[in-house]
Amino acid sequence: MTSILDDYALNSPLREKNNWLKIAITVFGIVVGVSSNSPVTPFIIALCMSIATIRFSKVPLSLYLKILAAPAGFVLVSVVIIAFFSGNGSEIFGFDLWDHRFGVSTGGLNMALVVLARTISGMSCLFFLSLSTPMMELFFVLKATRFPDSFIEIAMMMYRYIFVFMEVAMGIKYAQTVRLGYKDFRTSFRSMGMMGTSLFIRAWEQGEKLYVSMNSRCYDGRFVLLEEKHPVRISEVVLTSAYFVLVLVVFYFTRNILLI
Amino acid sequence: MHIFEGFLPSPWWQLWFVFSIPVIMFGMYRLNKLVRERREIVPLLAVAGAFIFVLSSLKLPSVTGSSSHPTGTGMAAVLFGPAITSVLGLIVLIYQALFLSHGGISTLGANVASMGIVGPFIAYAFYKAAAKVNMNFYLNVFLATALADWVTYVVTSTQLALAFPAGGALTVSGFLSSFTAFAAVFATTQVPLAIMEGALTALIMKYVVQVKGDMLVNLQVLTSDTINKLKGAM
Repeated sequence: MTSILDDYALNSPLREKNNWLKIAITVFGIVVGVSSNSPVTPFIIALCMSIATIRFSKVPLSLYLKILAAPAGFVLVSVVIIAFFSGNGSEIFGFDLWDHRFGVSTGGLNMALVVLARTISGMSCLFFLSLSTPMMELFFVLKATRFPDSFIEIAMMMYRYIFVFMEVAMGIKYAQTVRLGYKDFRTSFRSMGMMGTSLFIRAWEQGEKLYVSMNSRCYDGRFVLLEEKHPVRISEVVLTSAYFVLVLVVFYFTRNILLI
Repeated sequence: MHIFEGFLPSPWWQLWFVFSIPVIMFGMYRLNKLVRERREIVPLLAVAGAFIFVLSSLKLPSVTGSSSHPTGTGMAAVLFGPAITSVLGLIVLIYQALFLSHGGISTLGANVASMGIVGPFIAYAFYKAAAKVNMNFYLNVFLATALADWVTYVVTSTQLALAFPAGGALTVSGFLSSFTAFAAVFATTQVPLAIMEGALTALIMKYVVQVKGDMLVNLQVLTSDTINKLKGAM
């Protein structure tokens, strides 16, 4: 863990765009992608979102592929299980193992491919949002909704302290590593325990100090933020509507198309 | 055990939201009440949440060689109780989805149900019950945390098996055979992971009792008598 996606969002040219528009694009892509029964629509969504992220948000292609591969382990294992167990239809191939018949049917394979396509499209929509919108901008959105103040306060302070503790944790880890703190399983376990403890205690003391310092600055249970307004431009509305229409048309015409 | 974005089909992702939203609302209600009574709890809960996030992004030393991360929710359940943990878990899961691309938005309901609600709730119930019969505190923390991980993983397998039952249609036997497959495959990483996380949490608690036992007294996790007894035993 060296950098998180938020770092890239801060430098993204799309940061200046309207938050609600970006959220609408993301949620639209996720919902349409997950409701599609054919792998074509998720594929189109993934393509559009990836182009938008790489072209407009100026994310390096190598980084984009790397983060897209992050969930690969879980997704591939689960997709293989779905291919073998789910669905019915004629068997494509199979084998016997411990008196059990394991086979992949057409239904199972189709299901697995659709799920794979949906996951890729959902991930690319999520990346579009998280690589173009820093968390601070999303707090404005949260404030506009009806979440309780205490929830937003905790979320905001947590966001701040994630970076503080991450830095402390990395520092401790380096210090432990150069002292051979991770040379074998036993020592690394002990080192992890010590790091977790000092992190926990430090976090707690930091929290108490934070309360005192905020109280002395008249904290009354709500942070007031000055929100920058990003009006939506006509060209953005046109482009977004064109994208929505394209996806919906593809969704309608390919709803019964399966790869196999 | 995160379910990734787009993995659960309709109607399952909506159903898990229907399950999670009332619990989260109850958690927020409890949180608001607590904040009104003790305002200093806000920064403390925030740093605790950040601690859970950082802990869950650290790699555990793993025996099998696969990458495994602690969830931290068992520890939070022991310290703060399940209602508050569900709210903290929600925030952590949103951050993990946005920053680390672990989990997702449409699967948020399912992930909150497994990692934020059912796992911590069972861990808390176990912790309370075992504390009643005077189980050793460290053993109790170890078992409660490991249990939280296992329950989380069983719930995740259930969620996947309900969404993708064997044979295509949802039947009891189809669900069971699909559940066995998911549970068996994920067991290879989740069973050792839970033991590791339980041991790590118990170790952290041991250091905390030694260095800053009054903290646990403030949180009403332990009484000062128990702290003194634990210190005396070392």
